[in-house]
Amino acid sequence: MRLIDWIWHIRGSVALAPGQSSDDAFGKLEPLFRQPNTSFERSNDMLVFQKKDQAAQDKMSIFDDGTLRIERGTSGAVLRYHLTSRALLACFLAPLLFLGIAQFTVMLGQHQAKTEHASDKSADAKKDKDKKIVPLNPIDKFLGAPAPEKPDKKDADKGGKRDKKPSPTPAYVFAAIFAALYVGGRILEDRLIKSHFAKRLRGSRSTMTREPALPPVGGRAA
Amino acid sequence: MDGIRVGKRIIGADSPVIVGWENIGRVEGGPVKQFIFTWFQPTVLFAAILFWYYAPNSIAKASTAIGIGIGFKLLLLSLEWVNPRYDSWRLTWKELVTDLFYVGLGYTVLRIVDSYIGSSVMVEAIQHLFHWDKFAWFTSLPLLVQAFLISFIFDFGQYWMHRGMHNWYPLWLPHSVHHYITQMNINKGAVGNPVELFLIGLGIGGFFDFVPRAFLLAGAIGMSVGSYMHINVRFNTPRWWRFLFNTTEHHSVHHSRDYEASRSNFAGTYIFIDRIFGTCVDGEAELLGMEGGRRMSIREQMTYPFTEAWKTLKEKFARPGAMVMPAE
Repeated sequence: MRLIDWIWHIRGSVALAPGQSSDDAFGKLEPLFRQPNTSFERSNDMLVFQKKDQAAQDKMSIFDDGTLRIERGTSGAVLRYHLTSRALLACFLAPLLFLGIAQFTVMLGQHQAKTEHASDKSADAKKDKDKKIVPLNPIDKFLGAPAPEKPDKKDADKGGKRDKKPSPTPAYVFAAIFAALYVGGRILEDRLIKSHFAKRLRGSRSTMTREPALPPVGGRAA
Repeated sequence: MDGIRVGKRIIGADSPVIVGWENIGRVEGGPVKQFIFTWFQPTVLFAAILFWYYAPNSIAKASTAIGIGIGFKLLLLSLEWVNPRYDSWRLTWKELVTDLFYVGLGYTVLRIVDSYIGSSVMVEAIQHLFHWDKFAWFTSLPLLVQAFLISFIFDFGQYWMHRGMHNWYPLWLPHSVHHYITQMNINKGAVGNPVELFLIGLGIGGFFDFVPRAFLLAGAIGMSVGSYMHINVRFNTPRWWRFLFNTTEHHSVHHSRDYEASRSNFAGTYIFIDRIFGTCVDGEAELLGMEGGRRMSIREQMTYPFTEAWKTLKEKFARPGAMVMPAE
């Protein structure tokens, strides 16, 4: 599991300032968890949180739960975090969904082509015969709008069939978009959360409390 | 909260809503920025009309329109970055991914469903059943009149469908999901339950015959006016524009957390339809959404109309005997 869980797990660490206590560090980080639909529990060196229906502008909106731990070694204290994100997992899987949709569209097109081939062609031929060129309104002629083209029968046939047949191209495009979004998001969100933690740990507690934090809903501090 | 009386209604009693154009924020910055964000919308509209009116037949195709549409969306995304209306509506990675998921559904699954049971299929079936022909004389009208009629007929239908969604519970259920968005961004119009997205796309325009260029012109008008509905960009929208067309200001009022305000500004493109029927409220709101701004997950958005309908039906048809009686 550890081999693949990097897809939706973000792990990292931020060094604490020399002499910074756990209480001070978590005190500075707490505003990040005093957000709507966020609950957290804090013990001496550990903070565990859970989020649901995260607000769009929540700095940790992509994370659903996680653990923050302060470890003290010979080189000083370090904040280690382990966060999980269903949003990252969903974005990782989204290309597969759109590839599936593309495959379904191809199958649908094949099925449609078969049924069209079997159906009566005479109706289509009659329809094409009935098609007339629409003359431009005199006002449009005066203003110089291009006149509609005479429909070329071959092109019309090809075009008509092409338009009717569902195309898998949009699904392939969206599969590629989500693959790119995943790569971008995995790198960006990893960096963003690290910088948020680092900034908050460096900042003073009074600065943090002056920030307009949203009122906690279901927030709980142990 | 007291709210402000608009006609017979009190707007802003539940949640803050700015009523009246004079109270709305203006573009901040130098003369170049002011100029760009004052004239951007009209310039794009007139440029699009001119382009589609005069483009040679080899260029005037649906594929060109799709390309321009995508390019325009990317441009608007960059404008959101440069000049946001509200910082609290800033696009985040998660919001972008969520919005694009719905855009993706619209371009793929919904398009397939629409090709089988959409309005054009239904119109064709009705015409076939009653041996009606299309109203062919429409094609002899001037191009711009045809283009206006196409977009107006669609928007008029959308106005009543949308108003119906806010007034009839079975239609409200699929639409309610869209009202859980808590901020405006360029792709937020695509967010919603697929059932609602299918319903809102229904139109009766298929009964009429128009020339292909008129459809392209109508699409250009729709793009150049309707794209701003869910945008997070501060514009100094001209007076005549906001009198005729729906704007992000109007639509933010519609999405506000205030109940009465949310029952206004139903049209998609032409706000004058709301003015005609007395449902227009000129103004702006920053706090959007339902249930105090709870953000709904994609999973809940997919199931919510059905689970809510099930709950309501269960309550309605619950046997009286099954009611819990207090112990004696």
